[in-house]
Amino acid sequence: MSNAKQISVFVDNKPNQLTGIMALLKKSGVNIRALSLADTTDFGILRMVVNDTDKAAEALKNASYAVTVTEIIAITIPDAPGQLSRVLDILGADSVNLEYLYAFTGASDKSVSFVIRVDDNASASEALTKGGIIQLTEQDIAEM
Amino acid sequence: MEKYWNEEIETMSREDMKKLQDERLAAQVKHVYENVKYYRDLMDEKGVKPEDVKSTDDLYKLPFLSKADLREAYPYGLLAKPLSDCVRIQSTSGTTGKRVVAFYTQNDIDIWEECCARAIVAAGGTNEDVCQVCYGYGLFTGGPGLNGGSHKVGCLTLPMSSGNTERQITFMRDLGSTILCCTPSYAAYIGETLHDMGYTTDDIKLKAGIFGAEPWTEEMRRSIEKSLGIKAYDIYGLTETSGPGVSFECSEQTGMHINEDNFIPEIIDPETGEVLPEGEVGELVFTSITKEAFPLLRYRTRDLCVLSRKKCSCGRTLIKMSKPMGRSDDMLIIRGVNVFPSQIETVLIEQGYSPNYLIEVDRVNNTDTLDISVEMNPEQFSDKMKDMQEQEKSLALAIKTMLGINPKVHLVSPKSIVRSEGKAVRVIDRRKLHD
Repeated sequence: MSNAKQISVFVDNKPNQLTGIMALLKKSGVNIRALSLADTTDFGILRMVVNDTDKAAEALKNASYAVTVTEIIAITIPDAPGQLSRVLDILGADSVNLEYLYAFTGASDKSVSFVIRVDDNASASEALTKGGIIQLTEQDIAEM
Repeated sequence: MEKYWNEEIETMSREDMKKLQDERLAAQVKHVYENVKYYRDLMDEKGVKPEDVKSTDDLYKLPFLSKADLREAYPYGLLAKPLSDCVRIQSTSGTTGKRVVAFYTQNDIDIWEECCARAIVAAGGTNEDVCQVCYGYGLFTGGPGLNGGSHKVGCLTLPMSSGNTERQITFMRDLGSTILCCTPSYAAYIGETLHDMGYTTDDIKLKAGIFGAEPWTEEMRRSIEKSLGIKAYDIYGLTETSGPGVSFECSEQTGMHINEDNFIPEIIDPETGEVLPEGEVGELVFTSITKEAFPLLRYRTRDLCVLSRKKCSCGRTLIKMSKPMGRSDDMLIIRGVNVFPSQIETVLIEQGYSPNYLIEVDRVNNTDTLDISVEMNPEQFSDKMKDMQEQEKSLALAIKTMLGINPKVHLVSPKSIVRSEGKAVRVIDRRKLHD
């Protein structure tokens, strides 16, 4: 199965930086599905899963932003206590090293989705499948 | 085959050149003593008479002139000819204080333009070339100097001045410019813009560039040569002595030949003023021996460099000066350590970063701080925070290894540091504001 893609953008720690990026995405008609912003005192890294990664990457690169596209794992789990703990247990049991994760909207009212960034997508994906966790493809996310 | 603009002078024997300099110097000292009260007072104070200076061996007896003297004597105090004999004024950018104005007779202009013509020919220029001059025109000497030199050589001259980079590239393509004259930072920017516009070096006909008016490194030379597909030559000069063309690079690209028939160089210890032997690093001092209107004797340039009489493969016998290693007034003293922006630039280029950076120095709780904003390399961008922090750390370490002090490195977006179309502003020293 194909993993979902995430687009990351380097953001200066200055006023109005996100405004510029959002204006570009608006102009390109790109819809954001998931978003997280990691920051230091100097800069931030904006990570997004969007409905059209190629289009977003092209628009941002043309405007001289530093952009990188990486494969990530996206999962959907029931919106109930202990569900994320279950996912982490599965990954932990397989010694998968988790870089970061962030939540986004679920496929339904009763579910919640997560972007999971690991070093080894293939083994993490296999472990999750064995553990019965539903993974979302790029198309699933685009159609959400 | 090496070509010269003035073969007789450029390949003259050392003995003949010294004889020429001796004669010109003695006459110049007399001219200055008789016509410039400001310098006459300095000589009298030191007890030196014009007849004491018979040859270049007596040069050390003369008092120095510094930028402070030029400001003190502003505007007419060092003028040696009646204004009716002068035809031109040029001026420094005045970034470090009051402007300095320099005056030229027609003969001064002719000599200055000849010096620039020598530089253009040394860079391979002939009357077949199209020479695009994008130094600023106006009071700044860059544009007028190279423009005049280009005319003398007979190049088809494109007086573009600086700015409007896309138009520069359009003209460069449409009219087939073969030689580019501008500041090295602007040349780098033109190269960047060329590629951003979707062109390659195949779309232009440039073969050489003559770049000066600000310090640049060997790494920057290589990067400009690659991005524009040219050979990049250094040119040196200062408004106080004429403008660009005081010295210029030849095909060997290992330093700049000084037009010794017009300017006698010396290297001195900037602290004591003592003349240093050939090969030692010190402050460059020039004596103009042909300048009529604004003849400065022993003018301290504040540029630190080395002189060499080592035989040059181009056949020129003119003494060579190294690329200035820094300016004593560009030099920052941070936590007691001498720091030249060019050292930081060298590290950036070695580590694969753009040579566009900003150094900010401040004093917090009585300790100097050094902050360097560097454009991150989009090729090395990672979505993982630790990778990016690792890049900042390893760059800071490389700079620390070079300078001996710890900087704070801040990665910023590509192309977010303001590009300059003239002299680049690389340093902001806020400590001065507190004093």
